[in-house]
Amino acid sequence: MTELDKICTVLDKLTLDALTLMEEEIQIKLNVENAMCGGETHLAKSRYILGQNSVSSLQLPTENSPDFDAVTTVVGEDDEELFGQKARTLEVVKNEEQIDPVRWFGYLVPQDLYHSQSMFKQALQWIIRAVNVQTRLIETCGKIEQLKELKKELLVAK
Amino acid sequence: MALHAAIKGKLISVIGDEDTCVGFLLGGVGEINKNRHPNFLVVDKSTAVSEVEECFKRFMKRDDIDIILINQNIAEMIRHVIDGHTSPIPAVLEIPSKDHPYDASKDSILRRAKGMFNPDELM
Repeated sequence: MTELDKICTVLDKLTLDALTLMEEEIQIKLNVENAMCGGETHLAKSRYILGQNSVSSLQLPTENSPDFDAVTTVVGEDDEELFGQKARTLEVVKNEEQIDPVRWFGYLVPQDLYHSQSMFKQALQWIIRAVNVQTRLIETCGKIEQLKELKKELLVAK
Repeated sequence: MALHAAIKGKLISVIGDEDTCVGFLLGGVGEINKNRHPNFLVVDKSTAVSEVEECFKRFMKRDDIDIILINQNIAEMIRHVIDGHTSPIPAVLEIPSKDHPYDASKDSILRRAKGMFNPDELM
């Protein structure tokens, strides 16, 4: 097997990988869409119960609000590594100082707001998976590009 | 800042319509740091494209942000900036919104990957 054949074989495998990753990413994004859609429906129900402006961006903290830390952050997994970069995973840190974001909308909120929160948390889980797949796709595409260059050089040398 | 980020994990920022921002902030991703900089931007009809672009660039420069979530219809407004971003960190993820279902043909990463499968490119 010549060097060119080996490159072509690897290119075939990487191309198949890229296609699989593309399909996987699209599927995950559709799952994100479903979760978000469910969350938005529950937001709409909460809005119907509490009033139009009671569940809106008006309740979100602004630059003048006291500073607060995110409850959900992203960390790199130690055991799983994607092409030199750690696979991402969600981390939920809850301190006593941090208040539940649901409290921004009041203390007696409808259950729908909690349902919405859990749907968006589910969407976040899908999003982390999508980001990991996207990172692998970018790396695979980068490798394909490099091998194509190498293949061109070999063909020119022939 | 880097040490701060290493201890507590990195942030997910959101550029989106009202429901997207409210939803993900309910999920707990929102933060306002000591410099009073939020990690989200609510985009409505009155938001200028330049404001979105500026915010996106600001998020890209922050080393405590690992993922930027942006609604696909808003990403369309600043497509040239997103296409120019090739670094894996922060990862930019285009997500659907209530009024605009996900369209894979518009996604920057998928378009770039699909471009490699042109018959001329495969030779």
